[in-house]
Amino acid sequence: MSSGSLTRRLVFGSDPRRTLVRVLVLAILSFVTFKWVLIPIRAEGISMAPTYQSGSFNLVNRLAYQRRKPARGEIVAIKLAGPHVLYVKRIIALPGEHIAIERGQVYINGAPLSEPYVKDRRGWDIPEIALTSREYFVIGDNRGMRAADHDFGRVDVSRILGRVIF
Amino acid sequence: MPAGILVVLLAAGFFGWRTREAPDEREIRARLDALRNEVNTSTKEGLGSALHAAQVGSYFTDDAVVELGEGAAPIKGRETLIGMVARLQPRTAAFRMDLDDITIDMVPGANAADVLLTASFTRRNISTGEESLDAREYALVMNKTDGSWRIARITAIDTLR
Repeated sequence: MSSGSLTRRLVFGSDPRRTLVRVLVLAILSFVTFKWVLIPIRAEGISMAPTYQSGSFNLVNRLAYQRRKPARGEIVAIKLAGPHVLYVKRIIALPGEHIAIERGQVYINGAPLSEPYVKDRRGWDIPEIALTSREYFVIGDNRGMRAADHDFGRVDVSRILGRVIF
Repeated sequence: MPAGILVVLLAAGFFGWRTREAPDEREIRARLDALRNEVNTSTKEGLGSALHAAQVGSYFTDDAVVELGEGAAPIKGRETLIGMVARLQPRTAAFRMDLDDITIDMVPGANAADVLLTASFTRRNISTGEESLDAREYALVMNKTDGSWRIARITAIDTLR
């Protein structure tokens, strides 16, 4: 076998038509997966540190909440005007709950919330908020920041795009 | 022609037909793109700060209102806006604006459109070179005056309340 035909065979396989079909199927599967199922994102900013550092690459599972509702402690992607710029935050309070923060400690329905993922805490104070049946309360893990520099608060369930899986 | 290729071509044609944009929508997108480029043009690239501010102002109607929320007083009128942009100019050289997820709804029977978008501001710390990103959602009302689409109102939307 000449080197030219060997190269062709290595590139296109023994049946080029079948290889083309495989490549097309793979391309379509990748497109569908990364457009509608697993969305690759790049974290910007320090509000989720130390869990996610600025610049880290993560994946959002858009199907995570098809069969169940978001749960406390899960990290979710929240859409703004669309899916290209997202907030990445942790859910700390669920619909219908009351949340307050006193000197950095989160209270849910009056009981303190254990948050092992928070490594640094400033004395944030947020008066009690009652969430509606469609609202979650989300916040980043970096509580060592000033509260004024940190985007957090109530979010409507329709804005939760999916769960950040890693 | 094999049936498979015909099906793919028909599907692509249908997709293209479904996602086609009206001329006004294309104009609005082009206008917002031009505004973004104008904002990102630093005075170091040849424009004086007053001229640059006036250029940015030309994308707004005379009675434009900008509501940034968070307790800030609304900015009313193009002239006020131009003044603010001129004063901000030395700082804007260190940031870049991007506009994403632009949705345009034409108001039937009027030269007006409701626009929803996410604006991202990447700030660069001049001394450390470190970049930080601030993104926010905005609702815009745009009017077509004198043949050009101009912003009549910008309202910041609180995604997290």
